Order: sequence, then C-alpha cells, then structure tokens
Amino acid sequence: MSLKHRGIVQLGYVRIGLNDSRLTKSREFYSDTLGLLETQVSPGRACFRCWHEPQQFSLVIDETPENGLIEVGFQVRDDEDLDQIQARVEATGIPVTRCPADTPLAGLGASISFVIPGGQTLRLFAENRILGYPTGHDSPDWNTPRQLRGTPAPLFINHVAITTPDPAATINFLKEVLEFRLSEILTKDDGSTPLAGLLFRMSKDVGGQEISVFPGDAGRLHHIAFTKEDASDILTDGQYLREDGVNIDIYGPTRQSFGKTFSLHFFDPMGVRLELCSGGRVTENHPEFEPVRWTESNLNKALSFYDNKLNDSFLAASL
Amino acid sequence: MALTRFGYASLQVMDVDAAARHYVDIVGLRETDRVDGKVYLQAKDNQDHHCIILNPSDSAGLESIGFKVNDPADLDNAAAAAEAAGANVTRIAANEIAGQGEGVQITLPSTHLLTLYYHADKIGYACGMENPDPVGSTETGGKVNHLDHCLISAENPAEVTEFLVKVLDFGQSERAMDPGGNMMISFLFCGNTMHDLALGPGPNGHLHHLAFMVDDRGDVVRGVDLLKEKGVPTFDYGLSRHGIGGVQTVYFHDPSGNRNEFFSGAYVTPGIPDRVPPITWTMDHLTRGAFYYENAVPETFFDETT
Ligand SMILES: [Fe+2]
Ligand SMILES: [Fe+2]
Repeated sequence: MSLKHRGIVQLGYVRIGLNDSRLTKSREFYSDTLGLLETQVSPGRACFRCWHEPQQFSLVIDETPENGLIEVGFQVRDDEDLDQIQARVEATGIPVTRCPADTPLAGLGASISFVIPGGQTLRLFAENRILGYPTGHDSPDWNTPRQLRGTPAPLFINHVAITTPDPAATINFLKEVLEFRLSEILTKDDGSTPLAGLLFRMSKDVGGQEISVFPGDAGRLHHIAFTKEDASDILTDGQYLREDGVNIDIYGPTRQSFGKTFSLHFFDPMGVRLELCSGGRVTENHPEFEPVRWTESNLNKALSFYDNKLNDSFLAASL
Repeated sequence: MALTRFGYASLQVMDVDAAARHYVDIVGLRETDRVDGKVYLQAKDNQDHHCIILNPSDSAGLESIGFKVNDPADLDNAAAAAEAAGANVTRIAANEIAGQGEGVQITLPSTHLLTLYYHADKIGYACGMENPDPVGSTETGGKVNHLDHCLISAENPAEVTEFLVKVLDFGQSERAMDPGGNMMISFLFCGNTMHDLALGPGPNGHLHHLAFMVDDRGDVVRGVDLLKEKGVPTFDYGLSRHGIGGVQTVYFHDPSGNRNEFFSGAYVTPGIPDRVPPITWTMDHLTRGAFYYENAVPETFFDETT
C-alpha cells in the first residue's frame, strides 16, 4: 500500500476512578440518566459504550479509594505505530510502559502507556474488541435503541479535556511527539503564551478536537464530551437531565465559540463534568491546517457566545 | 502518509454566472476567485481556497474531484501505486488549478478523474481566524459548513471500491448489495466521517450528487423552505432521511442540472479500513435505506446523473 493512515487514528476511551461503593450511583447515572450502554460489569469495574459505537467500551469506571482520572486511551493503526511512538516518547526522556494484550483491560490489545507533561496517563493500543454496532450490521435502523429513548443517549465519545499548570508544555508534547494538530488556541493577549488549546488527529465533522488542554491542576480531568446529532437534540437532553435532578453548569446550553460547538455541560453524581456537543468545524489531519486564534481578553466570548458573564468556575478541573 | 479529506469538485456548467449565483445565494458558499473564466467557491467553515470549481461547458457534469494528502511525498507514492494498479496518471503543475499546489490526476476504473494534492492556499473561515463571532451574520443561502462528500456513478462500483481501498487506503462504512451479491452502492471514507466518496450504479464518469453539510436538522428544514421559496428544483420527496447512515437530507439541482444535497448528521468511522465490518443493506431493505420515511426508491433516484 502506497498511502497509509498511521499513528493515532481515534480517541478510544476515557478511564476514571470513582469512590462510589459498588459503583451503584455511577452505573445508575451513566446507564439510566445519560443513556450509555453498559457492556461489562465486574467487581470494581463497569464499562460503557455509546449506541453508535462498534467497540466494547469508550468509558471505563473503576471503583477506587480516591476519585481521579486513570488514563485516556487512543487507538493507533497497528503495533508498528506503537513501536514508533514509543521511540519518539522515550526520546523526550519520558519512560514508556508496555503491556501485553488484555492488560490492564480485557479485550484491549498490546499497549504502551506514559505520563504526558501535564501529568495525565495516555495509553495507546491498536485493538479494542469490536462487538459490532448495537443496531446490527444488516440494514439497520440508525435510531436510538428503544431502551435508551428519553435520555440524551449520545452517539459517540467526542473529546476529553485535561488541566495542567503548564499548557504550553502539554500542547507542545501533543503536537510534536504524538502529531496532534491544533484547531483552536487561546494565548495571552500578546500572543506569547498558550493558555488553552483544542487538539485533534481525526478528520471528523463534529467537535473539532479529541483532547483539549486547559490551565489548572496537574494530572486532572476537566471534562468528557459526547457527540449529539444537533443543537435541538441537546435542548431536549437538558430537559431530561433537569428532570433527573442533574447539576447543569450555569452556562446552560450555549454556543462555545472556542470550537464553535453547541454544548451543554453538566456533572455526574460524583462531580465529574460532562458535555454533550454538536456542530463545530470539520477538522483535517494536515500539516497546513490552521487554528483559530483567541486572546485572553476574549475569554468570555470564547467560552460562551450566548452568556454575558464569565463563569470562573467553568475553568476548574472536575476530577 | 495518507488522504485527509474530500477537497473539491470541479463541475461543468452551461452558464457560469447562473451557477455562481446558485452556489452563493442558494447553497451559501463564498465566491473566492475567478480565473480564466472559471469560478472558485468555498464554504464558510473551510479554510482552503476552494471546494467548488465551475467550468464553462456545453454540458453538465463532473470534470474532476480532488482529495488532499498530508505529505508531499504521497503524490509520487500514490502515482506509482495507481500506475502499478493499471491506472493512467498525469501530473498537474502548481496553480494549474488556482490556489492549489502541484498534484497528480488518477483516472479511476470508472473513468472519473481523481486529483490528489497537498497544498491549498489558505483563505481562512468566513468568520475570521482571530477571536471570531462563531456564526456569521451576513450569510446568504443555506447554512452550509463544508463540502462533505460526493456520490459518483460507475458501471462496476465493486471494481472502483477495490481500487480505492487498495491504492489509496479508503475504508468502507456501508454498502448495498443486489440479489446477485454484487456491490451496488459503496460508501467510502478516508477520514473519520461516514463517507468522503460514494459509488452508485450508473454510467461511468458521471456525478450523482455533491453533498454540503449543515449543523442541524433544523437547517435542513430551513434549507428546503429556501429551495421552495426560490423555485429551485428539488427531488420529488423534498425533505427526507437516508436510512443508510441515518442522515437528514434534501436533494436539489443547480441550474445546469448537477445534483446537490443539504444534509446533517453525526457519524464517526475508525479512520482505517477493515477495523469495523461494513453495514450491509440488502435489496429488500433498500427503499428504507434510501428514503426512510417514504420507504420507496423512485427510478429517477439512480437515473438522474450528470
Ligand atoms: Fe469540550
Ligand atoms: Fe449524500
């Protein structure tokens, strides 16, 4: 083959740890309120996927003594990619750990993991067991499965946002070593220091990012975002979430200018910030792709085109 | 490296000015250049020089389609692989197509010309690239974000699919099979969307439709309202949904008869071939696959190509 898509090809999963006895509250929230499909439960772990996803999970929740982000999983094409990326990461002085298949997660192929400058752990793998689409592969009705109707039931995991005290170092690592590209960047007013960035590897049409970097504590999660079909859908989803007593961020449904998505942010029972998003601009995995540039004094417009006041609490990490 | 996305469609039109008005006032594109009698246009949320080229001609149709690659070395590599697979390949100099770097043009087994290129001049988003109001206020026409995909017709869609998968690393998300087990419609992606290029039954070298993406199902509805108000000819069913892919859709025609589509939907593919088995539609379900609400496929659906 002359041409070949290589390296990271998609966001695979987010794995979080919650101090939630028997994961009772989490399982109820992610299945019944958010509308994900639970695909595996074992003592201390629950795995979920969205109804349009063919792989076994895109969200993994472990029961842990402390709440925290465990790792973010990205899919590469094959084991050759793992070797090449391992060499590039090690060349920066960051140690890489190799795991055989089914370790630490059943159904995952061989993987490499490492801690990025922001303090978060990334795991790269080529295989995540394909269960097939929940709708079946034979002339399917691409409709939300009946048992999930009346919930947001997002279609896909869309992106994960992390915080770090040094956004420039994390953005630089993601760009230079893992070959992510910026779709949007926010800097100080003189353009010098990056404060936040949206980064992508996928050429996709919703969300414009797979990982975003915000200023804040090291190693923490800012939010996890899921894909919805459109803005009208998200308005209805906000009704379902409110009815279930979910804590919705004070921005409410809004156009997030930073990324141009139509977004609704809210919190799970343990305080993890989640997002439903639609729209955005198509991304292109190309070296000449240019990011939208934002400066700090436009932060309020960047975070919400519709709201008049800056919501400081939005900037804090949630896990 | 690899193909990144569908870059442009170069169309033959009988009246360039009428066509330009259609693509600006109805579709909602920006006119970005006029060179040697050709008009170049781009959608508001694509930063490249053009996604549509209008060529004066005495008939409607497709002159070529363009796909971008993300490594300049891909051009030579793709040319060699295409030639090894028996395809004719020619070279295009920089700026032979305005706003575009050098390229290679591959003749597909269906006789369509497929141009690969690395560089496009940047014009930025319509809203601007610095602290923009994300939604422009001066837009005309449909609320189109970008040119998304095209469906071309081929006497043997399976043969073209095999070429595109083998030579250019396309993957297949969905397909329709006829009762004899032949591939009748093939949906192929080179990024992470459902399809960049699709093949349907019909004459070699023809265009079935070009699809423009809007954000919201409501934008498709308002798009149909606009088409009807402006007297733009639409497909018989007006607003519909494709069961295939599960997207909201309306088909309409430019003044020369080239078919356009407004559509909305969200669909993610893994970005590499063979990772997920394709969705397969069988003939007994194709009515629902083509027009989900109406559950019927009029003959004009496949017959009308340019
Ligand atoms: Fe987000
Ligand atoms: Fe289409």
